[in-house]
Amino acid sequence: MIQVEGLTKYYGPFKAIDSLSFHADAGEIVGFLGPNGAGKTTTMRILTGYMPPSEGRATIAGFDVFEQSLQARERIGYLPETVPLYKELTVWQYVDYMAALRGMRNPNRAERVDEVLDRVEMLDRADSMISSLSKGMRQRVGLAQAIVHRPDVLILDEPTIGLDPRQVREVRELVREVGQERTVLLSTHILSEVSQLCSRILIINKGQIVAEDSPATLASRLQGTTRLSVRVGKATPKEVAKAIRGIEGIDEVIPTDEGVEVISSSQADPRSAISATIVQKSWELLEIHSVDMSLEDIFLQLTTDETMDEEEDQDA
Amino acid sequence: MHSVGRSFHNLWTVFRVEFTLFFVSPIVYFVGGVWLLFFGVFFLISLAAFNQGYEPTMAYMLNTMAFLVMFIVPALTMRLVAEEVRQGTHELLLTAPVRDWEVIVGKWLAVWGVMTVFILVSFVYPLFLILRGNPDLGLMASGYLVFWLWNGAVLAVGVLASSLTQYQLVAFIVGEGISLLLFLANALSSSSLIKSELVNNVLSALTLSSHQTSMLDRGLIDPVDITYFVGLMAVFLFLATQMLGTRRWRA
Repeated sequence: MIQVEGLTKYYGPFKAIDSLSFHADAGEIVGFLGPNGAGKTTTMRILTGYMPPSEGRATIAGFDVFEQSLQARERIGYLPETVPLYKELTVWQYVDYMAALRGMRNPNRAERVDEVLDRVEMLDRADSMISSLSKGMRQRVGLAQAIVHRPDVLILDEPTIGLDPRQVREVRELVREVGQERTVLLSTHILSEVSQLCSRILIINKGQIVAEDSPATLASRLQGTTRLSVRVGKATPKEVAKAIRGIEGIDEVIPTDEGVEVISSSQADPRSAISATIVQKSWELLEIHSVDMSLEDIFLQLTTDETMDEEEDQDA
Repeated sequence: MHSVGRSFHNLWTVFRVEFTLFFVSPIVYFVGGVWLLFFGVFFLISLAAFNQGYEPTMAYMLNTMAFLVMFIVPALTMRLVAEEVRQGTHELLLTAPVRDWEVIVGKWLAVWGVMTVFILVSFVYPLFLILRGNPDLGLMASGYLVFWLWNGAVLAVGVLASSLTQYQLVAFIVGEGISLLLFLANALSSSSLIKSELVNNVLSALTLSSHQTSMLDRGLIDPVDITYFVGLMAVFLFLATQMLGTRRWRA
């Protein structure tokens, strides 16, 4: 449904995205995950026909977003990061306007506006001015305008940003529902969001896709690895790191501000050996516990340790 | 494909919402009030002239209003594109399956519609003349026609000004400036500052007064004059469309 090949965008000399290639099939919810400034919004703006790419191409349902822009745009519902609303219109007028702009005609249009407002639970506020709505309601109205014309592809830029936890859950529920019928490309920097919603994750950093897989596969990359957090009294993290580095089954020891992090991939639990070493040195063992390795770790690893990765590559 | 029917649908869609938006904002009532106030003042002055035996025509009123329009109209147009860009709503317009020109022309038609309402309300003054005197109706009609066309042209200038910036005040001043140039271009040509005959001819051909006098004072509708107004609208709306398009690169 979405095909992206070698998409590149320059802002002056700055390369915002760098030969991105990916695809999203019909009925898939694809998560676009990356830190702020990674190029998520730029990619979405190209896909929605807002701006042309510098190089490469993208198609929506087979229509080139630049060459056949109008046909491509007809098949897209778009919710930009800051929900663009006309505050002087009522909820109903606004959604009706967006539906009409996407080519819907009456009498079907009016019916559909009611239907979609009902779906986002805003029908009772249909005649309220948008300026009087709360942030969560505005987000739901934004979602309503994105789905009102039954687009094949839904592009949502940070749909849950700035919402309270209950509203976040509501919006996610909606996205999940909508995603059963259409292709959804969803950007976020919240990991739990993608792991809950998406069938596939694209991790993007500095304009490049650094990983692409299902949430389960990405998480299993780290299976078999345990991470321990150790806090010790009467010794600095560096001293502790030095003391326990040689213990069998420990791959890596990283001193942190509060203690040390231990990464181990062996079957043998190194915890008893660690505590024995610390007691032997007559330090105080304050805390030792295992930390779950999650998508968060993969994400951080992929998006921050770039130089480290390169060094490792060279070693290999 | 994008058919003519679809273009009408899109123009109507933009027109409808923009027209509605005008009447929820206080500016339109303020501008309308000022407009009718000035119309009334100039009508009173005209009445005094009619009492002294002058021909009862609308020429003086409409000529003066044609000047004032340049200061009033940009207040209506300044918001049209600038505010969309400032609020980010232009992103929806530029990603909807509508062409850029349909957005611009739809907005312009809406504000011209509002001006047409103002002009229709001002018909009470000629109506008064018709009831009390015996004016030349054809002259009155052609005078109003040229005035209406001039309004459309100044509004097109205003839409262009609004598409240049996201600051409404800048749009207001730029709109005023460009239309003043159109109004005053022949002042330059008659100033003997410019020696070239060609440049002087071009300047005076661009000036409003060269094209409104015959319709306003003599009731003659010349296709060249109509072309002048339609041409102004087309040029400024074309430029406004191009400026809206540059948002795709400037983002």
